[in-house]
Amino acid sequence: MPSICFYFQVHQPFRIRDYSFFDIGQSHFYEDDEKNEMVLHKVADKCYLKTNQKMLELIQRHQGKFKISYSISGTAIEQFEKYRPDVLQSFIDLANTGCVEFLAETYSHSLSFIYSKPEFLRQVRKHAVMIKKYFNQEPKIFRNTELIYNNELAAFIEDLGYKGIVCEGVDRLLNDRSPNFIYKSVNGTNIKLLLKNHLLSDDIAFRFSDQGWKEFPLTADKFKNWVHNIAGNGETVNLFMDYETFGEHQWESTGIFNFLDSLPGEILKHPDFNFKTPSEVIACYEAREVYDVHDFTSWADTERDLSAWLSNSMQHESIKRIYSIEKDVLACEDPDILKVWERLQTSDHFYYMCTKFWNDGDVHKYFSPFDSPYDAYMYFMNVFSDLECTLSNKLKKVRTPFSHLEVNGGSGKTKTIEVYESAELLSQELPA
Amino acid sequence: MKKSVPKVLMLGWEFPPVINGGLGVACHDLSIAMSQMSDITMIVPKSSADFRVKNMNLIGVNNVDANLFESYPSNYHKPLPFQLHSIPANLDPYYSQDFSGKGNPDFFGFVNGKDKLAAFNMENLYGGDVINKVLQFADIAATLASTLDFDVIHAHDWMTMIAGIKIKQNTGKPLIMHIHSLEVDRSGMDSTGWVYDLEKKGMEYADMVIPVSNYTAENIQTYYGINKNKITVVHNGSCIVQPFVNERKFKEKTVLFVGRLTRQKGPEKFVDIASKVLEKNPDVRFVMAGVGDYFKKVLEKSSYNSLGNRFHMTGFLNVEKLRYLFSVSDIYCMPSVSEPFGLSAIEAAQFGIPCVISKQSGVAEVLPGSLKFDHWDTNKAADYILSLLRDEVLRKKVVEDASNNLDKISWDVSAEKIIKAYQSKKYI
Repeated sequence: MPSICFYFQVHQPFRIRDYSFFDIGQSHFYEDDEKNEMVLHKVADKCYLKTNQKMLELIQRHQGKFKISYSISGTAIEQFEKYRPDVLQSFIDLANTGCVEFLAETYSHSLSFIYSKPEFLRQVRKHAVMIKKYFNQEPKIFRNTELIYNNELAAFIEDLGYKGIVCEGVDRLLNDRSPNFIYKSVNGTNIKLLLKNHLLSDDIAFRFSDQGWKEFPLTADKFKNWVHNIAGNGETVNLFMDYETFGEHQWESTGIFNFLDSLPGEILKHPDFNFKTPSEVIACYEAREVYDVHDFTSWADTERDLSAWLSNSMQHESIKRIYSIEKDVLACEDPDILKVWERLQTSDHFYYMCTKFWNDGDVHKYFSPFDSPYDAYMYFMNVFSDLECTLSNKLKKVRTPFSHLEVNGGSGKTKTIEVYESAELLSQELPA
Repeated sequence: MKKSVPKVLMLGWEFPPVINGGLGVACHDLSIAMSQMSDITMIVPKSSADFRVKNMNLIGVNNVDANLFESYPSNYHKPLPFQLHSIPANLDPYYSQDFSGKGNPDFFGFVNGKDKLAAFNMENLYGGDVINKVLQFADIAATLASTLDFDVIHAHDWMTMIAGIKIKQNTGKPLIMHIHSLEVDRSGMDSTGWVYDLEKKGMEYADMVIPVSNYTAENIQTYYGINKNKITVVHNGSCIVQPFVNERKFKEKTVLFVGRLTRQKGPEKFVDIASKVLEKNPDVRFVMAGVGDYFKKVLEKSSYNSLGNRFHMTGFLNVEKLRYLFSVSDIYCMPSVSEPFGLSAIEAAQFGIPCVISKQSGVAEVLPGSLKFDHWDTNKAADYILSLLRDEVLRKKVVEDASNNLDKISWDVSAEKIIKAYQSKKYI
């Protein structure tokens, strides 16, 4: 009895502004509030509210037989809190149906797994707390930023107690095997892997309105037949995509909402097919084979690797710099600085610096708030330089004693102890 | 002296409010100084009603009365006295962004006067169709000149050369070519092509050539074969700028580069120098002000060398921003591959900033106290910068020497030299 597993990524970054050299040391406001608010309102109206409303309708119409899952980044939630509480409420309403699962991920949609495991852990925990707070769920399934995945991640995530990971089904690694089964990782790990069926997922996410596509126009009836074709040769069809597919990447005028409206009904016409959340899928099916991913994979671009974020020297330089200050950021013990640093880790910043397809005006350009990847890098590094200045000023304070204590040093002598702003540093200075 | 007040017809290309680099500044400041001792009529492609110059008859081709052309038949103009190579397409000798969006496909001889004027209603003097603009400018300037009274024709750089030549053909007046920049500076010592050809034949045809430095005078002899006797060097002057100091907003000292980001200015050498300095002293920031076709290359190189948090590019800056930048900078570095003069080094010196400059520059001749290096010797430049950062005595000495050098530099001195040169050849 094959299942359809829907997973949607909901994410918005805090885009930075055209922060010039002259701002360094002068202004500590890095974000383009106006643009972030504008984009959020646009996507909220065109996609989130409408699609959530549709999903709620579908769940009610099919009386629990239609199920979906989301991963919502912390930065997206923060923007909902700030600009559109109505969107947040509509996700809470969906959570209350019992037919929606929320997945774990890094709080700021970051590449921290690659650069700092402690920071990765901190972000995953922070995200889980947020999910619990709003949706009253404890995530059991992990989804890394943009489905970035490898064997190491599987072992790491298993150790954290998660039951499954969603990742890309990369053709070159599947090697003619079907993505429509549960897989497991190497070295005797037990965590289950849900692989994206990229053909069927991208038929909706990318090709739906492509008039040059031979299957255009895509109807729910046609799509249903493709899905039903896997009967007997697959257990789960994993349809993973950006949530913004609905109404934003594919505008309402393309008929995407009508498609979505009829799809569950069409699929359920076949008595053997059902919808399951990722947790239900892994509870229901066994892992059939090993999916061995040595180098990182992702769902981005045609390469399905890290090249969208890490292919040129500007990307490497900026991301290396941002993780190089981790120790200093933590030493400050300043929640505002931590938040700034966390937001600068958001993978989108590095995505904007990608020069891979620049001349073709690719999808990177569509998403970028900047005129060019060079601008993206330039402004990011200016912001970074300012943050570095702030850190060094702050640390000077933390590391400079603000008073001295006279204590009994034993054998009648007094000893002077320096008192620091930071309690942690103070305890280090105290005699054992 | 033939007359008490000599009459000079100047042909300029960049002129306020349209300024791309040092040429516009030099033309403006020099002509003002010269207007104290001569009657100047200046023809430029574009002038603005908001921008008038005292004691000078400034004619912007964009403001010329189109009816002027009705009375002159098109065969008024003679063919050039020499043959030029065929015209290359999409020539862009200076980096510039084409604001006009489209060029005028017709050129010299094929458009009537009114359309020619229309071609100059644009912001950008260079861009892909610069040759059309040069030819149209020549045509209009030559027509205008027939209504004017003057003793000498004084043309600035190759863009106005054809105009100068045509006017000399029509009037027989002596033609002086003032050289601020050469194709061999911009494109390398083995330059060929239309612009080089024009420069060579233009200078051969001219009665006198005035380069802005000995460095350029040598290039004119070596690479263009121009007779030394025709050449009179007149260094650029400088406007007196009231320097001011601002407090830096960060603790690191700042090394500044100002200029077009083109091959000629050696921007990628600035990255090499930065890398070498930062290896020894990480508490320095390197700042590049300017735009150009090397922008991306330089930014990528700086990230490749892992200078991201110490290397900043500002893009294009207006005068106020630029002066602010001078006011917070500690060292000025000019690694030009070939720099006929280099006015911004003078401005840096005026702000009391020690200059580390390429020997392949004209400004090195008038700022003998600055620290000089061969443009390929980035180790030496880095050493100089590190020494200046470390050694307050050296820094003070370099600044003091430059300040003494500055006392001798002025546009009045340059203007006098030019008038004397006219007189020595009995042009006036």
